Amino acid sequence: MATLSRRHFLRSASALIALPALESFGFRRFASAAAPVVSIPKRFIFLGFGFGVTNETWFPDQKTTGENYTLPPGLAPLALHQKDFTVVQGCRHRFSDNPHGGSTFWLTGANPFSEPGQSFHNTISADQIAAAQLGKETRFTSVQLCSSEPASTGHGAGLSLAWDDHGKPIPGFETPLKAFHKMFSPETAPLAQRKAMLLQERSILDTVLEDVNDISRGLNKTDTDKVSEYLQSLRDIETRLAKEEKWLTVEKPKAPLSAPGEGLAGREEIKVMYDLLVAALQTDLTRVVTYRQPISSLLSSIGVKVAAHDMSHYSPGERMEASQRRDSVQSELLAGLLDKLKTTSAAEGSSLFDHTTLAFGSNLRTGHYLDNCPTILAGGGAGIKLGQHVVLPKDTPLCNVWLTILKGAGIQLDRIGDSTGILTALG
Amino acid sequence: MRGPHLPLAALIWSAFSSFSSGATVAPQAAVNKKYDVFFKEYCVSCHDEEKHKGSVRLDNLSFEINSMEAAERWQKVLNSLNSGEMPPEDKKQPDKVLKTDFLEHLSQEMVVARKTIGDTNGKITLRRLNRREYKNTIRDLLGMDVSVADLPADGSPGTFDTVGSSLFMSSSQFESYRQLGRKSLDAAIELFATPQAPRKQHIEPEERVNPSVESEMIRQGSIRKRVAMWTREVDAAAARPENAKSVAEIRAKAETKPNQFYHSWDKITGAPPPLDFGFVDAVDVFHHQSQWNNLIPFIVDYLSLPKVRSGIYLTPGISATRAYTCFVPNDWPAGDYLLRIRLASVGSLSLMPSRTELKPTPTRPPAGRRQFLDITLGDAEKVLSAHHITGTMEQPQELVVPISVEKGGTRHFKLRETNPEISNADVDKNPAIWIDWVEFEGPLNTTRPTPVAIQAIQTLLTKGANTEHSVRETLETFAVQAFRSKIPSRAYIDKLLALYQARREAGEKPEIAIRTPLSLVLASPHFLYLSEPVPEKERRPLTDLELATRLSYFLWSAPPDHQLLSLAQHGQLQQPAILKGEVERLLASEKARELFTGFTRQWLGIDRLDFFMFNPKRYPTFSSAVKEAAREEVYSTVGWLLKNNRSLTNLLTSDEVVVNGLLANYYKLDGVTGDEFRPVSVPPESPRGGLLGMAAILAMGSNGEHTSPVERGAWVMRKMLFTPPPPAPPNVPQLTRLEGQLLTTRERLSAHQEDPQCASCHRRIDPIGFGLENFDAVGQWRTQDGYEKAGVGKKTWEIEPAGAFHNGPAFANYLELRSLIAAKPENFARGFTESLVEYGLGRACGFSDQDLVQEIIQHARKSDFAMQEFFQALVASKAFHTK
Repeated sequence: MATLSRRHFLRSASALIALPALESFGFRRFASAAAPVVSIPKRFIFLGFGFGVTNETWFPDQKTTGENYTLPPGLAPLALHQKDFTVVQGCRHRFSDNPHGGSTFWLTGANPFSEPGQSFHNTISADQIAAAQLGKETRFTSVQLCSSEPASTGHGAGLSLAWDDHGKPIPGFETPLKAFHKMFSPETAPLAQRKAMLLQERSILDTVLEDVNDISRGLNKTDTDKVSEYLQSLRDIETRLAKEEKWLTVEKPKAPLSAPGEGLAGREEIKVMYDLLVAALQTDLTRVVTYRQPISSLLSSIGVKVAAHDMSHYSPGERMEASQRRDSVQSELLAGLLDKLKTTSAAEGSSLFDHTTLAFGSNLRTGHYLDNCPTILAGGGAGIKLGQHVVLPKDTPLCNVWLTILKGAGIQLDRIGDSTGILTALG
Repeated sequence: MRGPHLPLAALIWSAFSSFSSGATVAPQAAVNKKYDVFFKEYCVSCHDEEKHKGSVRLDNLSFEINSMEAAERWQKVLNSLNSGEMPPEDKKQPDKVLKTDFLEHLSQEMVVARKTIGDTNGKITLRRLNRREYKNTIRDLLGMDVSVADLPADGSPGTFDTVGSSLFMSSSQFESYRQLGRKSLDAAIELFATPQAPRKQHIEPEERVNPSVESEMIRQGSIRKRVAMWTREVDAAAARPENAKSVAEIRAKAETKPNQFYHSWDKITGAPPPLDFGFVDAVDVFHHQSQWNNLIPFIVDYLSLPKVRSGIYLTPGISATRAYTCFVPNDWPAGDYLLRIRLASVGSLSLMPSRTELKPTPTRPPAGRRQFLDITLGDAEKVLSAHHITGTMEQPQELVVPISVEKGGTRHFKLRETNPEISNADVDKNPAIWIDWVEFEGPLNTTRPTPVAIQAIQTLLTKGANTEHSVRETLETFAVQAFRSKIPSRAYIDKLLALYQARREAGEKPEIAIRTPLSLVLASPHFLYLSEPVPEKERRPLTDLELATRLSYFLWSAPPDHQLLSLAQHGQLQQPAILKGEVERLLASEKARELFTGFTRQWLGIDRLDFFMFNPKRYPTFSSAVKEAAREEVYSTVGWLLKNNRSLTNLLTSDEVVVNGLLANYYKLDGVTGDEFRPVSVPPESPRGGLLGMAAILAMGSNGEHTSPVERGAWVMRKMLFTPPPPAPPNVPQLTRLEGQLLTTRERLSAHQEDPQCASCHRRIDPIGFGLENFDAVGQWRTQDGYEKAGVGKKTWEIEPAGAFHNGPAFANYLELRSLIAAKPENFARGFTESLVEYGLGRACGFSDQDLVQEIIQHARKSDFAMQEFFQALVASKAFHTK
């Protein structure tokens, strides 16, 4: 590896992903959604709930598609919003094979075995592709929310739903309080001191870079790749510093809500996280939010005694009731979020909902099933036709859904994961 | 320990065994040609060049699975068959037996294929210190412990935390290293800079506990009085003539329960609300009344116990005595302390001796069963240590427990009796343990030698940090220590120096300013990575220093000590006799505990013990303390065998177990007292002895409520027989036919044998699990099992352990099953060796390692699989000396 200077690697960090020109869309809705006249920024919300849903009572009857479908019991709490979301059936990730991890590959569709000699590999997630383009002008390129529950609880490997462009996990705020402070609490140190801190952070990177240069001498390719991971983490910090510098003199927005309490868990925690993510979008702190929702604490908070994993392998009786109860509460919470998005105004009489795309789902359907991933789309940001029940051909790549909503919101990309093309059925 | 003895059945089995333990040629994953007809008939007939239904072509799919692409296509075939999607319902279906065989074969081959394709051909990837190694390395360097909970978990499932290719790095992790480094430095400098005079605090627990017991009695007395006053007023109101009718109605309804009458007080005109007497409502009144009935006699008796004025009794009957909490004073520094407790096992004292009108407590458990004390840190349920109390009221004992207080960490410790964690009416509430006094003494760091890295800082600060030269010298000394003797580059030191100067200019004192560059050293690549540079496509022998490092991280998960480094510096470490001696020395050291725990935990998958909560109502004796002791049994057994160079096969079956008093009590073995784990003989007919008799291993094969024969069977196949079943496949249709019925475990799992998708694996797995059914979910022996379902009913049945291995010998009971498994020491040794290679070399053990694995096994076999021989053979191998 050649000796690198900080400036050198900063340059390469800005190269990001090579992007093709915006291609013309095959149908009107998408074309209009992507039209440049729209000046109100697009937003994305991705909500992943790990362990799947109750197969029997969460999915609408596949025979009734279109807008005149009956909401199944698991989605009943969403009745008031039926015209504003679309249920998509038939999707899967062809490479996913971990029947206990509903989030690791949910937004990436990667092949875990594609790197010989490695038992795990991931690629960039949909939210990060969006964030690379939508996050340039906001204080936070993207915001990741998660919980302090171990990832093994139905989500699989990862620190949040987000994976960076090198397929490395991105950490998230584990509690509502942490998220609140990071996003809204004013800086206490004076400006000069914060400037000096940034300067010192840079010399820190400069210093360790010397040791990176030293250790990189005479390494084979595999080892060089390992050192590159380290180098990449320095680059990421450098990128973050550059952004912090840009925002150094800009005050954080006033929080549109009061600081959440400590020790929130389960249902309350999710509700407050939803409020926080709306607040983040509303104040334009960020335009892309992911949330890896807790499941064990959700169950405890609603008085369910069954353990999350046991629940996911339900059979009629206590465990199935637990699973159904979980579905209902998750739908209730989602209904609350949709309410909030609709009643939060964005600009010129439109609501936040009109400019946001929301995806709600998991890589796991139920038990050990990884096909027909539960998927709900909402919001007007990507020009998706709402109020629909769409049944796609069996095993349609879930990545086609991501491709469709990303392109629909004007994000430029060729493909993601194993995507094969946009889904006109959603338009 | 027992020598290998082979029952007849085992000998027969060996004769037609299908295990190819002698193979040294790397196998090639391939679908057996004998399935050609099956494949053509049921798959290719639709997916050929001409029809290629669903755009899938299988006619051109090679039977050799030697590329990623071929593996993916075959995986798709397997998935479609497993999910029942193919062949389509309207097409001809294959014969069940044939399909089962094909599925089993194909899934096994896919496992082989993944391994072949993933083979690194011996290449070891540069690796980062994992969490354990980081903690140990910091301890060696700075002389203090750091909590690594903030670092992300290491590695990926299915590999060891030493495998470099799975140890990643991210920006958030880099930041965590910086923060942890700084935190450790701050604490270490404080610890060693100001030697702390040891101090002592003596506590008489009764001084705090007795007043609170007494005030509880006064409180209860007041409640008693208020209850009486209120009921008297209600009675008075009820006696008024105008209430006669409503009172009669209430009485008619409440005939059977006298208190019921008072619950309807609001229907009686003139009756005062309970709120006037300090109760929320009528329910509250009688809730307190029942408390009175249970509690007051307890308290009265408690306060009249002998020696109650000079100590306290632990009893779950009164909240103030359920546990005793003691504190290390807040103004004492972080560090190591001694907690001394003078205490006794009570014997036959009994509370409520004369109150026959009260529900009698259950018969006392046999003497000696309640002699255990838990010490927990803070309010956490996690037991820090558990102790066997053998002192008597006449001759109390002094228990000395080393504890440590982290900077900013919890300072209170709870003492409680092991077991009665739940306030359950069935728990024996008689006191079992008496505590005379408690003492804290410390900190003990005064005896600890100051590490070189810290000395470097101290020298700088005492001699004065005014010259650039002296600062540079400190930075260099510290970095060389941190980098495990590697000399840092001049440019790097220059920049560290500049950072120091910048902090000085910012107004920091030298002792603070030096911490910024030093903590950065602890986040730099040469500290975090074990570097063994080698150019592309080349292999080379390790240098002496690299060998020393590899060896100490293998056996200690810690940096090389002075002796290893000195041998390396003198070029002597490569000499076989010296190296052999060093392996012995390292294994005998206290530090090798990291190997027994770290390696064993991952090798045997012990983490599963924490996957489930064990239902305390159902399994009251499997307390947290017992669970921790059960876990420790696994580690201590491996450690004891290794230190004493006993045969690995003792893990298969043995006439000795390594237990302490608490666990011996749990296993109902008599005559074991105290907290040390030590070997104890068990009779030949005992189910204990070997991994399969260990509570931890058995509890891992349950979900905290019920046993899981599938988990247990699969575990035996993976770890003991080393014929691992393929991973649980996704999308296999769930069996629903037997749902909602009252069935025995065998009946319920019989459905596994019906569908080829299930039978292909479960016909091998389930019989082994059934053979272990005599152990309940927490590893206790049983002969009956039962199942209860609300609304459906209850069923109990006799355990039938008898069964047979698929295509193998039969066994009538657990002991025969254990003997059959023990008759395959080669298989067990192979699994152990492959894990050891992976752990020790930090890379997956691939097919290219088969010769190495074979060599190690052959070497160890010569000494009847003596444990240390595996380590000696691996360390002596070329692979261990090569990058």
